[in-house]
Amino acid sequence: MTDVLFYLLLALLLAGPVITLIAARLRQAPAISAHLLFVALVAGALASVAMLWQGRVVSVDLSCLAPFSFSLLVDRLSAYFLLLICLVGAPVALFSGSYVERHYHGARRVWFWVLLPWFLLSMVLVVTASTAFAFLFGWELMTLFSAGLVLIDGHDGERRGNVFTYLLMMHAGAAAVFAAFMVFLPHSAGLGFAALRTAAPLLTPAARSAIFLLGFIGFGTKAGIVPLHLWLPKAHPIAPSPVSALMSGVMLKTAIYGLVRLSFDFLGTGPAWWGYLILAAGAVSGVLGVLYAIAEHDLKRLLAYHSVENIGIIYLGLGAGMIFAANHSPAWAAVALMGALLHSLNHALFKSLLFLGAGAIADAAETLDLEELGGLFSRMRVTGTVFLIGCCSIVGLPLLNGFVSEWLTFRSFIAGATLPGLAPAIVLPLMAGVLALIGGLAAACFAKVFGVAFLGRPRSVEAADAVEVPRAMQAGMAILAAACVVIGIAPVIVLRPLAGIVLQLLPGVVLPQQAFALTNMLPLIALAVIVVALILRSLCRAPRITPTWACGMPGLDSRMQYTSTAFSKPLRKVFSQVYRPERSIETLPADPPFFPHWIAYRSVRTTSFERSLYRPAINGILATANRLRRLQTGNIQVYLLYMFLALVAALIYMRFA
Amino acid sequence: MSWVIDLLQLIVLVAAAPLLRGIIGRVKALIQNRQGASIFRPYADLRKLFRKEDLVPPTASPLYRLAPIILFAATLVAVALVPTLQASSLLGLPGDFILLVYLLALGRFFLMLGAMDGGSSFGGMGASREALVSTLAEAPLLLGLVAVSVLARSTSLAGIAHWAMGRSPFQLSPVHAMAIFALALVTIAETGRVPVDNPTTHLELTMIHEAMVLEYSGPSLALIEWASAIKLNLMLSLLIALFAPWGMAATLSVGAMAMALVAYAVKLLVLALAVAVLESSVAKLRMYLVPDFLGAACALAILAVAFTALKR
Repeated sequence: MTDVLFYLLLALLLAGPVITLIAARLRQAPAISAHLLFVALVAGALASVAMLWQGRVVSVDLSCLAPFSFSLLVDRLSAYFLLLICLVGAPVALFSGSYVERHYHGARRVWFWVLLPWFLLSMVLVVTASTAFAFLFGWELMTLFSAGLVLIDGHDGERRGNVFTYLLMMHAGAAAVFAAFMVFLPHSAGLGFAALRTAAPLLTPAARSAIFLLGFIGFGTKAGIVPLHLWLPKAHPIAPSPVSALMSGVMLKTAIYGLVRLSFDFLGTGPAWWGYLILAAGAVSGVLGVLYAIAEHDLKRLLAYHSVENIGIIYLGLGAGMIFAANHSPAWAAVALMGALLHSLNHALFKSLLFLGAGAIADAAETLDLEELGGLFSRMRVTGTVFLIGCCSIVGLPLLNGFVSEWLTFRSFIAGATLPGLAPAIVLPLMAGVLALIGGLAAACFAKVFGVAFLGRPRSVEAADAVEVPRAMQAGMAILAAACVVIGIAPVIVLRPLAGIVLQLLPGVVLPQQAFALTNMLPLIALAVIVVALILRSLCRAPRITPTWACGMPGLDSRMQYTSTAFSKPLRKVFSQVYRPERSIETLPADPPFFPHWIAYRSVRTTSFERSLYRPAINGILATANRLRRLQTGNIQVYLLYMFLALVAALIYMRFA
Repeated sequence: MSWVIDLLQLIVLVAAAPLLRGIIGRVKALIQNRQGASIFRPYADLRKLFRKEDLVPPTASPLYRLAPIILFAATLVAVALVPTLQASSLLGLPGDFILLVYLLALGRFFLMLGAMDGGSSFGGMGASREALVSTLAEAPLLLGLVAVSVLARSTSLAGIAHWAMGRSPFQLSPVHAMAIFALALVTIAETGRVPVDNPTTHLELTMIHEAMVLEYSGPSLALIEWASAIKLNLMLSLLIALFAPWGMAATLSVGAMAMALVAYAVKLLVLALAVAVLESSVAKLRMYLVPDFLGAACALAILAVAFTALKR
């Protein structure tokens, strides 16, 4: 039965676009595509739950269709990420059904429904592949299909530039992943995952570290760790909202899957510096990601930067896991790893919820600029409620899912003090402070987002006239919000399958029971909070509605409220070293100091990485290319000379090598 | 039977919170050579506010009235994690101090949202400043707790209190002292006392907490005021439990409980006096000096964590 559901998922995702194209002329075509996708993903979710629960392994061999060995195998780890894809994909499909109908027509609509199932299929391929060829095949398709989906909203110059950056960085990352697999080859019988696993212990330590570093760069580019995150705030915000939800929520997690598969499954326990490297990348990404997010007032760019932050939190857990494993403390390595894996699922749920919410806001108020929003909660109760749940989850507030995974990470950091040796005993507990700082900054950021967008007075006519989005869109968001709440109150339902996964990765580990004391307590705490809140609520009488005292002025208007920029000003001032904006003030006339006719103020923030890291590299490449241009004379005799010289050089090398 | 005492200490902490505020106010008045109000006035204030009607701005959403309720509920549940009369608590569990920090964050998050729902300038102003202070206070708070937890080799507040009870007051290590200082500075910031925030001011240049609650009235305001009084008592009780738990009841006898109650009251009184003297003797910091203040707390907490590892 499980196998059948999995095959159904693959078949429907593969055939969905074909059916869309055939049915494109029909009036119900979008509904057919959306429902087909929803059914496929629900089947996939059921299959993965069954596989996680029973620990059954499903495999498919498709080598006959491909030039290289091409097969899929779903073990527990794969099933978990498959569940992640399907659990997020299904509500997104539901949401898209209505969203696409309202926003896209004609060819764009068809393109959306052709590319979306294949994008999902490529991600399924990545997490279930059991040969390097299948993995890389899926990996590349995932980039291409997502780039196609990003271009659905239009293809003006700036958008094409952003997509170009995205493709370029993804291909560079894919090259690193490809190289990582190649380093295995001298010792491995083939590029099947089983062969790689058996070959890994035979490699020299240097080769193992080389593989790890290549994987770190390759998967890090996809995950968007600082400073490889450059593409992320460019590509995610310009995609259609459901696609942003999938890219931020799900696609980034395939990189986490790849890193876990490569480092924990293939390479096993490595030297401690691997862990420190991951930990440092996580800490830097987490803090810088959230700081960049606070300064944004475009909702989708802000959310994209929060993906960098959350990937940082996941990396913190992974790094702690590696350090524990290297210090022969598998029990706490398991807790840290569970924290990281759970945060991957949690982030997928709340980040896609928030991106769908952004889509709903754009649908209702026609803008994503926070400075133009406000007061939406009174007009969009359902969207507002689920968006609030998403905000509380991403901040990591108790009784929602984000808290559970951060709790596990915190617990493992504190347990770091029990490790022998000075370095882990100092570094790991200090990381608890970093995680707390990230949490505090995220709280400030989402208080801003929800407060400015949904509360107070509307700041534009569009926001004042906003109406609630259709039922299907509400339902898509509500499913994700419900998952956040359920995991937040009863985390045991995900912790048990997760325990199975870490047992597969760290065989024979005994989980420290005290790390999970919270899971029994959370329902009780939820009950306590709800009971107290209900009692207080029932005691409250009906309020009297009366205008706010405006100090004797005619009344308050929306311009008097704090804006998003004003809200974040204190934090931007404190962390001004991070932003370093270029400011200029021009006044006309220039010389008299008082009462100028005209003042222009400009403040440009390019992330300092773009300026100080990428710009010199790009300039260097361009300069080298210009110099190399002299080789290209256009004269055929010169090219023949090059070939001859190359041949001679090769012969000399062969003779003496 | 132990849980009855746990419940009792929760009720004591919650019920005594307004009294603590009254005492601080009275002592401050005496230092300023005023007669001051009765120490029971905060109770009368709460009673008055609970009887008044709730005024809500026309633009506010349902969240406006929900926010104080969630703030109060979260604070109340956080209190259930703090040991005061005996070295155990109602909802204590390994790692409960993380939960404590995040429950306080939950309440604060909703208060910030409620403030911004008022639709006036002051709510946003207060929320923005509160975001600054609380963001920077969260890391030192947690790191200070981590340092003590590592020192005590226990991850629950009750376990740490139990460990500290078994040591004489003169065995104080430098690490312990650094953690005390860090947490004391954070307590001042978290509870909005001078020099970080002035709870008695209504000047837009300086107010933080008061700006957030400016539009609230009636029962909602009463809940917020009570919750912030509880929070002050909670943070002071936390300092007592972690660093000076001597006198906590070791047995369940009535005599031991009475002794514990007296000891707790005396220690709380001493801390209240300290707060009052501090508030009367230093001026409020400019807002952009608050990060330096919390930076000092953070540096102390980091050193405390690093030295605990060295000290093993």
